[in-house]
Amino acid sequence: MPLVNNKVGDDCTASGDKALADGKALVDSLIKVVACYRHLASCVGGCTDSLQLRNELRQTREKAQNLAGDICHHLTSHLRDKSLPDGQRKEMELLWVAFSSCLELLHVDMCKVLNISGIVSLADSASLVHTGLEGCSDVAARALSLPDLNQAQTDSLPAGLESQERSTMELEISQIDRMIDDMEMKVNVLRWMVEPHGPQYADPLSSTDSASMALQSIDEEQQAPTSQPLCQRSHIFVLLLL
Amino acid sequence: MTINTLAKGGLQPEQMSCFRKMEKVLVAMQDPDMGMKMRNQRLLITVIPHAMTGHDIITWLIQKYHICEEEALHLGEMLVKYGYIYPLKEPRCLVLRPDESPYRFQTPYFWTSTRWPASELDYAIYLAKKNIRKQGELMEYEKERYSLLHKRINHTWDFVVMQAREQLRASKQRRKADRIVLECQEQAYWLINRPPPGVQNMLDWGLERPNNFSTRVPLNSDYYKSEIETSRRALGRNRVKSSVCLEGFVKYSEQYQNHDPIMQGCLPSNPWISDDIAYWMMNSEIVPVPTRLRVERWSFSFMELLSDAMGRREFMTYLEKEFSAENLHFWQACEEIRHGESSKIIEKVEDVYKNFLAPGAARWVNIDSKTMDKTLEGIKRPHRFVMDDAQMHIYFLMKKDSYPRYLKSDLYKNMLAKAVVPQETKKSVFPFMRRQRHSSPSPAQAGAQAAEEDGRAGTNSAAGSHF
Repeated sequence: MPLVNNKVGDDCTASGDKALADGKALVDSLIKVVACYRHLASCVGGCTDSLQLRNELRQTREKAQNLAGDICHHLTSHLRDKSLPDGQRKEMELLWVAFSSCLELLHVDMCKVLNISGIVSLADSASLVHTGLEGCSDVAARALSLPDLNQAQTDSLPAGLESQERSTMELEISQIDRMIDDMEMKVNVLRWMVEPHGPQYADPLSSTDSASMALQSIDEEQQAPTSQPLCQRSHIFVLLLL
Repeated sequence: MTINTLAKGGLQPEQMSCFRKMEKVLVAMQDPDMGMKMRNQRLLITVIPHAMTGHDIITWLIQKYHICEEEALHLGEMLVKYGYIYPLKEPRCLVLRPDESPYRFQTPYFWTSTRWPASELDYAIYLAKKNIRKQGELMEYEKERYSLLHKRINHTWDFVVMQAREQLRASKQRRKADRIVLECQEQAYWLINRPPPGVQNMLDWGLERPNNFSTRVPLNSDYYKSEIETSRRALGRNRVKSSVCLEGFVKYSEQYQNHDPIMQGCLPSNPWISDDIAYWMMNSEIVPVPTRLRVERWSFSFMELLSDAMGRREFMTYLEKEFSAENLHFWQACEEIRHGESSKIIEKVEDVYKNFLAPGAARWVNIDSKTMDKTLEGIKRPHRFVMDDAQMHIYFLMKKDSYPRYLKSDLYKNMLAKAVVPQETKKSVFPFMRRQRHSSPSPAQAGAQAAEEDGRAGTNSAAGSHF
């Protein structure tokens, strides 16, 4: 019996580590997608609002929801597993907390987009707010991790698209709602017991932190696929100088 | 963490109606033909479109809504203070200057909302972004709030930092001009939703803050029944058109204008100025000869006549001639019950019944049977207002019947002819002569004196008042 137990334990630990890594990767990409969604949402109703933007929003949203569904299953199943060792449980709970914050942000953004599209209609392009922005870029591409998005430029608004969009959005918002409710019901995570990671993130104002973070972001910049035709070279130099 | 849903609805306060209206104004400003005139903002090397001057905003408001400049300035101020338009030159100073200062529209995502208020999580992410972007960019109060948030939502701090970084990376995809605009937008949003210390929070509802407990009303059939009942009662209330009210008020003012001592002056002279109490003496309760103005007032309304002691006396004399004096006696007795001592009520009611209401009474008054029955019932348990219906009945009887005849009668006309119009006291020949100052006699004393010295002309210190 003990042998069997050990074996099971080993498998669990190994698979647990993998599960943790998987979960972390999923949550990281969800964070990225949510950030992009927020960025796109801040353009809705403004002068850069267009069918293309709405398409990108929709695609980003779908991706976010798929990711969310996956993470939900993943984390729920692992956290309900009573045999999960403590260390891994703590990590899972961290992911859990990050995940629910993600959902919260996504939910608010979706509600706001729905609300704005009611006030400022895309069909009436005269009412789009002149915000001073010019042209959106590949934010959505970044979200979807695609090198490029082939968008067919449609000038005219297909009939009934907006109302269809609205009903789809309302459905998705209520889906997210239910997901959040389910999460709270099924898994009991004590938030005040969750501790974030070590000193790297602890001190909000230390100079080393921000510098290191800036550097990290520069690295990522240089490694990311250069599908940034609109980004000027000079900006990268400026970043390096920081 | 609270999640607010569309489905549940009503948990979050309704969008303030002033926000909805301001949003409409914003949308109207975007019209390509009738909307705001846009200019370009030049910053060193970049040019950013869609800027407007404060002066343009005010001009547009004046033209669109046909209002004066002061009102347009106020309206524009509100648009700035609630974050629908933000200033470009001094972003922390949320003021609309009616000159060449540049402003820009806020993107709808950042419009002020009570339905999705800015959360702590959002603010933490914003501050983290600011901190990462440039070291030392956080202001003192922002640093304090950052530390506070770090303690409060510590469990999700990893997420805060990661999300901040991701948002920064997402915005790096854009051109420099767009990035500047996005930063300005976000800064303006947070200046309103988390104002620096010392700045008034525009979203604070103050005393009008909604009480959450009362809004949780179960919308069941009882609730709707009571709402229907309230509305029905409200419909049934008597309403008078405001135009009718105002007409009545104007007529009253016109009628009484000559009788008002402030508007018309009083004869012989204003006691407060001339120290001559003749005016009070001549208008005291009982005088041998009343003033003309006083007698005229008796013809304005029945209540005027009845509230003047002399008027009542005259009216009584007239009624005695007409053999209907018992009405006035009854009315006076009822007044005494209404305004008299509580201990004497029962006694007085008994008297009234004996003298006026009992069958075969000495001064039987003519009341309709319904009112009589009701009053007789009420007398069994007498209280201050038990005679009200009967009194009202007799009052209207006198008003409709005896009162108009009295006004046409010789008695009244003689009284009017006899009434005195006092002459104005001659003003002093030397205009700047100092009057001898002494404490004025109190009008209350003057009245008492006149009552005592019945018939005697009151003392006065000035010359020239004729009786």
